[in-house]
Amino acid sequence: MNTTLNTVNYFIAGYVVIFGSIIGYVISLYVRWKNLKQEEEIITDSTDQN
Amino acid sequence: MKKPVALKVLDIVTIIALLGATAMVFFYAPIERVMGAVQKVFYFHVAAGWVGMLSFLFAAVAGIIFLVKKKKIWDLVGVAAVEIGIIFIFINIVTGSIWARPIWNTWWTWDPRLTTATIMELVYIAYLMLRQGIDDPERRARFGAVYAIVGFLSVPLTFFSIRIFRTIHPVVIAGSDPTAVGTFDMTPAMFQTLMVGIVVFSILFVDLVWHRIRLGQLANQVEEMKFNLQD
Amino acid sequence: MQPGSIRLNTKTSFTKAMFAVVWKDLIAEVRGKELISAMLVFALLVIFIFNFALELDPKTRSALTAGILWVTITFAGTLGLNRSMAVEKDRGCLDGLLLAPVDRTAIYFGKSLANWIFMVIVALIVLPIYSILYNTNIISPALLLVIVLGSEGYVAIGTLLASMAVQARTRDILLPILLFPVILPVLIAAVKASAGILNGFPLEDLQTWFNLLIVYDIIFTSVAFMVFDSVVEE
Repeated sequence: MNTTLNTVNYFIAGYVVIFGSIIGYVISLYVRWKNLKQEEEIITDSTDQN
Repeated sequence: MKKPVALKVLDIVTIIALLGATAMVFFYAPIERVMGAVQKVFYFHVAAGWVGMLSFLFAAVAGIIFLVKKKKIWDLVGVAAVEIGIIFIFINIVTGSIWARPIWNTWWTWDPRLTTATIMELVYIAYLMLRQGIDDPERRARFGAVYAIVGFLSVPLTFFSIRIFRTIHPVVIAGSDPTAVGTFDMTPAMFQTLMVGIVVFSILFVDLVWHRIRLGQLANQVEEMKFNLQD
Repeated sequence: MQPGSIRLNTKTSFTKAMFAVVWKDLIAEVRGKELISAMLVFALLVIFIFNFALELDPKTRSALTAGILWVTITFAGTLGLNRSMAVEKDRGCLDGLLLAPVDRTAIYFGKSLANWIFMVIVALIVLPIYSILYNTNIISPALLLVIVLGSEGYVAIGTLLASMAVQARTRDILLPILLFPVILPVLIAAVKASAGILNGFPLEDLQTWFNLLIVYDIIFTSVAFMVFDSVVEE
């Protein structure tokens, strides 16, 4: 084959998947952290009141 | 739970390393003559694959240590390693598919590596489902450890079975066997980029595992608080 | 008393305990007939579904028989494993067994052995029925050997995983999810070996598959043996 295939779209798709997955996971960690922090606060508030 | 300084530093190092490796892929590595731009997906595809496999090994070892020592931290390490392994292998599988499509005109090839990676992914999703179905934390940790060990042991056996299966039944797909990485010749620049990619993904792995362990510690804390509330 | 006789007693105790468990399961089955009949009916239904789901004319059938057999065995086996462990859990028998002063691994081996026997019995009934349904004789010692070897690996890891799955909320659906990805090597080897035998290939050609089955059996039986304690401790 003498011509190089034009596969730029696939290249972009690949990197979208790579960075999307990593960033997505980091976001999930952040969201889960925030939720737990909230729960912690609610529990400490309710035990403080007692 | 304040973030330790070391972790803050690691976060910055990870981001810089990731940007650096990406720059290498985009600008330093040459464009492959036959396949064009999509071949560049290979660098992080392989890196994610290797580090993903290692994280499952990590989880199996953490499982063994947990069963022996019974310290909760090893359970947290195991879960963290499995979750992050799932993400990395997912990247490995999907980029493998994206690479295959323009080159071999198919979204999926039943080649041993891709197939084993997918089966491995299913094993570790099953691990998470097992944990989800158990309410007692101590039992959850024990069973997780057992399945992490069993799951990891099955992987090489699966790979070899499929390999032998395939040598007896040659691929009917027009084109070459995608497992042969030598379908393109690597220039030194490509090799360097690959090695950097693997190192950077290992750094990313450590960073993510650390964060996930901290999340696990917080979760355990909150669970304990809830438990105490019930008294 | 000679010093050796004490060691002999503990060894007998292990095998005694193991066979006690096997015997308990076999007797329960002879009386209740729940397990084997359920597995059998299920297996036959699966074969009938395959008959309509796949185009099983005589030509294609020979290529597919091995696959159909092993899919049937795999799914029926899950039923058997589930029932076998669920019964223990529900009736609290497991706790009773665990209180007994025996090595836990004897219980594991006992359960696995019983499950293995049940699977082989079901296969022994399914093979002639399949032969009748499709007017072809698929019974042969070589095929039986493959079934025995394949079931062993299946049951070795299946008993372990079933002990865990049965303690989870999602108990019924969880066992297949845990088991199937992990027994794929057994399935591949068993299907390839069976297909080879059914198509009349010389046994030397199938050596690799037999070796793989044996290796798998050894590895997973040993691992399950080592790890079973962690699964049943309270």
